[in-house]
Amino acid sequence: MKKKITLRDIGKIEGQMVDIDKADLSRLPAPLDDPADEPGIKQLTGEQKDRFDASLDGISAIGLVKPQNKQEEEDFVRKFIAGLKKLLSKENNWTFLQPLMLSLENCAKCQNCSEACPVFTESGRQEIYRPTYRTEVLRRIIRKYLKKEGKLLSKFTGSDIDLNFKTIARLAELSYRCTLCRRCAQSCPIGVDNGLITHELRKLFSQEMDIAPKELHQLGTVQHLKVGSSTGTSPKALASFIDFIEGEIEEITGKTIRIPVDKEGADILLLHNAGEFISWPENIEAFAIIFDAAGVDWTLSSSLVAYDAVNYGVWYDDVQLARIAARHAQAARDLKVNRMMVGECGHAHKAMLVVSDRVLTGDLNIPRESAIPLLEDIVLNDKIRLDRSKNNFPVTLHDPCNLVRLSGIVEPQRRILRKICPDFREMEPHGVDNYCCGGGSGFAIMDSNNFSDWRSSVSGRMKLKQILTTFGDVMNPEIHKYVCAPCSNCKGMIRDLLSRYRLTEKHGIYYGGLVDLIANAMVDVKGQFINWETS
Amino acid sequence: MPKVTLGGKELEIDEDGFIQEPEKWDKAVAEDIAKTEEAYPMSEDHWKVINYLRNYFLEFEIAPPIRMVTKQTGFDLKTIYKLFPGGPAKGACKIAGLPKPTGCV
Ligand code: SF4
Ligand code: SF4
Repeated sequence: MKKKITLRDIGKIEGQMVDIDKADLSRLPAPLDDPADEPGIKQLTGEQKDRFDASLDGISAIGLVKPQNKQEEEDFVRKFIAGLKKLLSKENNWTFLQPLMLSLENCAKCQNCSEACPVFTESGRQEIYRPTYRTEVLRRIIRKYLKKEGKLLSKFTGSDIDLNFKTIARLAELSYRCTLCRRCAQSCPIGVDNGLITHELRKLFSQEMDIAPKELHQLGTVQHLKVGSSTGTSPKALASFIDFIEGEIEEITGKTIRIPVDKEGADILLLHNAGEFISWPENIEAFAIIFDAAGVDWTLSSSLVAYDAVNYGVWYDDVQLARIAARHAQAARDLKVNRMMVGECGHAHKAMLVVSDRVLTGDLNIPRESAIPLLEDIVLNDKIRLDRSKNNFPVTLHDPCNLVRLSGIVEPQRRILRKICPDFREMEPHGVDNYCCGGGSGFAIMDSNNFSDWRSSVSGRMKLKQILTTFGDVMNPEIHKYVCAPCSNCKGMIRDLLSRYRLTEKHGIYYGGLVDLIANAMVDVKGQFINWETS
Repeated sequence: MPKVTLGGKELEIDEDGFIQEPEKWDKAVAEDIAKTEEAYPMSEDHWKVINYLRNYFLEFEIAPPIRMVTKQTGFDLKTIYKLFPGGPAKGACKIAGLPKPTGCV
């Protein structure tokens, strides 16, 4: 049973604040409507419990090592306060100070945001996951501990949170219980963005306290900048992948199509999430086949960092974000392309198309676009020959938050699917009202300790329900069904959901990208491009 | 990082059992990991996959895409799962002493 939790509890309760019991989670529709089928969340091992602080909810996403003595605890609190001051100053937070202050100043306490938040509702309404819980704790800390710092901060009220190790450690974990989907922000009558506040908290923890999930930091941005890709792909490995991909294209199409690399003066520098080369090479292949058929003048880059479109900095650290964004743009400048284009990667859209506006200036301010409108032009204006009957199976569309709600690219992908998929069905709700896949803000790749269980059970639960409902009338495993997710991260998350609940095996639900469906409909591609065996 | 004894050596592993010092890998280490991955005793087919992964890793410092593995070894995905119930990444790559995959994979 759930305990009643108040704001002050974050600094008061000893031991674990709440327990995520699978009996509290929202009920799933058929065929997963038997609660006995719910795998639940595994407990941390004794060794993990000894090392990591999991006093929020028994989950450890960030592997926060417990302090060894009073001194370390006090240093921890001091660092947090110093970091918070910086976060609220113009010199140290020129990127996001204005929207942060706008979101911190007011809240009408109407709770529209909570009803909009899938983490909150699907967890069985856990108070700590309420979008306003995290925010209100932060507001009160600012009011109580920083209010004398200047006029800027004098507007906040309420002042009853204890600022101790417990509060901050829990706040750190709590900043990784929100997918930054910003569905709450869209529902707020006064435009408060609780997702942005989560992001700013993560930033404080990373930039000022060196606290960040290792998948995003050491193995993510640090590896990206050092080796060339967060996947660990070196330029030599990239060449090997491309060679393999060209071979596969030849097998599928019977045509020799070269993947252009480092072609100077090309119109477009295409940036793929490098995870595609490893886990979904068909995505890279489909782009190459479509662009070749449509006569697009494009190239990939083999420069370190630039052959991986990802920018995990956008989830937790502005400094890392800026470093990676600059490397992407430098590669485009060096190749003298007209424009940079992001493939099927949602957060790269956010990083490159939206947030980088503040970072890339002067000769690095090269036009940056999404590949989706170009694909729309190719498909809708008949630049390639298509036969929609080749996609004769139920297809639904998942809307990646960063592509749709954030970047405003809503209709092009739908117009494509309506044209090439005879049984295209929308999920409800969809478009800008979509629900996150549950893997947003890096969750899809965060697997430390027991976090992957949490994301599959809680943050991905609403998406799972939507998929099941949309295909409710065609659950027969003989009928192949396709969840189109034009984002590498979303694909990874949906893959994990389908496999956790054995939906491919038992009910014939598959997933893949958008270009895969376009290539599958191409008349020039003999037979099927989509390979259900390896999907 | 926890330490365990594998193939008679003391090795550091991560929380998912991937060894942290790939250079210390040898056949005895592989066989001990295979025991925890329901892939023991190791047949010629097991070794064909492991050796391919190992050699690819030594040359490119990364695991090859799964489809490359199926093509190069001639085993389809189903067979790979039969040989390595943990799957190509968490089962086979672990036994071959490769690091855990990172990034959006
Ligand atoms: S919707 Fe906006 S105003 Fe209403 S409680 Fe949420 S943050 Fe506050
Ligand atoms: S951004 Fe999304 S996950 Fe985070 S609080 Fe808002 S609705 Fe919930």
